[in-house]
Amino acid sequence: MKLSSSKLNSNLPIVLELVDVVKSYTSGNTTFNALDGVSLKIYKGEFISITGPSGSGKSTLMHIIGLLDNPSSGQVLLEGQNISHLKETEMAKIRNVTLGFVFQQFNLLAKTSAVENVTLPLLYSDIPKSKHQALAVEMLTKVNLQDKLKNTPAQLSGGQQQRVAIARALINDPKIILADEPTGNLDSKSGKEIMALFHHLHENEGRTIVLVTHDLELAKQAQRIIIIKDGKIS
Amino acid sequence: MFNIKPSISDLLHSSVRSILKNKSRTILTSLGIIIGVTSVILLTSIGNGLSIYIDQQFESLGTNTIFIAPGKIFNDNGGFNQSGGGGRLITTSFTEKNINDLKRGLKGYTIVPVSILMADIKSNTITKKNMTIAGSTYQYATAMNNIPSSGNGRVFTPEEESKKSNVIVLGSKIASDLFPSGNGLGKKIIIKGKTFKVVGINDKKGSSFGGPDTDSQSYIPIGIAHDLSGNQNIQEMLIKTPTKEDVEPAKKIVTNILLKVYDKDAFTVFDSSQLLSSINSIISTLTVALTGIAAISLIVGGIGIMNIMLVTVTERTREIGLRKAIGAYPRAILLQFLFEAVILSAIGGLIGILLGTLGTLAINNFFPARITIQSITLAFGVSSLVGVIFGVAPARRASKLSPIEALRYE
Repeated sequence: MKLSSSKLNSNLPIVLELVDVVKSYTSGNTTFNALDGVSLKIYKGEFISITGPSGSGKSTLMHIIGLLDNPSSGQVLLEGQNISHLKETEMAKIRNVTLGFVFQQFNLLAKTSAVENVTLPLLYSDIPKSKHQALAVEMLTKVNLQDKLKNTPAQLSGGQQQRVAIARALINDPKIILADEPTGNLDSKSGKEIMALFHHLHENEGRTIVLVTHDLELAKQAQRIIIIKDGKIS
Repeated sequence: MFNIKPSISDLLHSSVRSILKNKSRTILTSLGIIIGVTSVILLTSIGNGLSIYIDQQFESLGTNTIFIAPGKIFNDNGGFNQSGGGGRLITTSFTEKNINDLKRGLKGYTIVPVSILMADIKSNTITKKNMTIAGSTYQYATAMNNIPSSGNGRVFTPEEESKKSNVIVLGSKIASDLFPSGNGLGKKIIIKGKTFKVVGINDKKGSSFGGPDTDSQSYIPIGIAHDLSGNQNIQEMLIKTPTKEDVEPAKKIVTNILLKVYDKDAFTVFDSSQLLSSINSIISTLTVALTGIAAISLIVGGIGIMNIMLVTVTERTREIGLRKAIGAYPRAILLQFLFEAVILSAIGGLIGILLGTLGTLAINNFFPARITIQSITLAFGVSSLVGVIFGVAPARRASKLSPIEALRYE
């Protein structure tokens, strides 16, 4: 199941590329490099995982890939275009059409139906409102929740909530799905179901998936593992 | 350019929903605005009702009556003169000669002298101390628009006036005070040892603010009044003009005639519209002042809203982070929380309008109060504005949250 990175390089376009990215934080007179010259290519249709111990720079790398943060130096190229120093509003726009986020805490809106949770990204998009409902139903069907459309998060199990979150990540047809410890809050059975769903999306829909986890066993399920330590890819 | 995403309807929808999630908090938060708007509406309603009431009172006096009083009553701005008397030459009364001069200058007009007398009035059993008794001619009732309705007797006749008959027309209130058990018509009363026959009782008019309390006032032929007071003084003159249009020219003629005898500050010639506008200017000043005080509670209410919105922003830090991560740009977050603040205060405004309206209807049972569309619009506008002003700070804080920090927030 594992493919070597050289094989991927040859025939797939690059979705996101980091070139010598440094992210430093200054406190007092000391400067700390959370990321210390990271270069990374994410290819279309790839399932990669990023792993490393806590404090390794894993989260910082995820924020850069998730376009939630700008690097201190270096470049971030989205389909070849440098987007390293865009304004917050432009970053938000790119996140809206490019990325699908899946979080450890699900981050669903309480007392809000599955359908409305799934349509949330579309509120900030150019997709006309008339299509929102149908798209949300389509995505929820994809994650096998077609009979829970009106349920609020409180009426759903953890695994079901995470599937709503995955449907929400899919609704804008993102170029990259970025999942941050997606099974961290789930029991092992639900965790396996969620991982199976990611594999399904990768293999059958050709989705590009970036899985961030501290769990090496989980990380090994991806095609390619990026291990980060002390702000560097090892 | 800037097009709003989410749409206004989406923003409204999500704001209303999050406000409804916490109903008791919503009501408590809006309480300041509710109280503020209610009191603003009540006060303006009272001010407005009062001025309508006074308008009606003056209308009943008639609009084609000119009053001439001693002293300077109005200042140059149309308000009442603060210094009371005013100029050097103060007259406290007019004379028979003035009346004759005016009669000569204004042929065909009814000119009515009034001599005011303060005296005790006694019936068989009751004594009313220090009552106002107007000595005047038989035309006084017509000039004051105050003629007893049928069944309540009559005004005295020209013959009774010239013969100085001891007849009196009582105000409705003094009549019921003197004769609590029944109609005083035809009965006898005593003023300064002289016995008078009650020939008429005036209709109840209600006391108008600033105007004479006609219900407590009685009137008798002027000759007797002069006999009782021991002087020939005339404290007031009334002129009834044929039409409303004659009022202004007649006032000029009167002024010119009196200026030959008196200093310009020694007398005042005015008509009811002038008196009315002076009183109305006082009422509107009072209303504005009181409403301004009530409006302070709107500011307090706004601070309450700001407070709770800051709490809301903190509570929903993760939600804000999520929204930003999935594409909400700062302005979308700003609008979302601003909408919530405005809706909170607008709800307060609407409840306040409702309570203010009900309160006005309740007050109107014992005090003139009339609601105005302006006060409703103003109250609603101001309360929404308060929402905008006090909602901006929390909404800005929300929009400036970093998505990373917000998502990490526990």
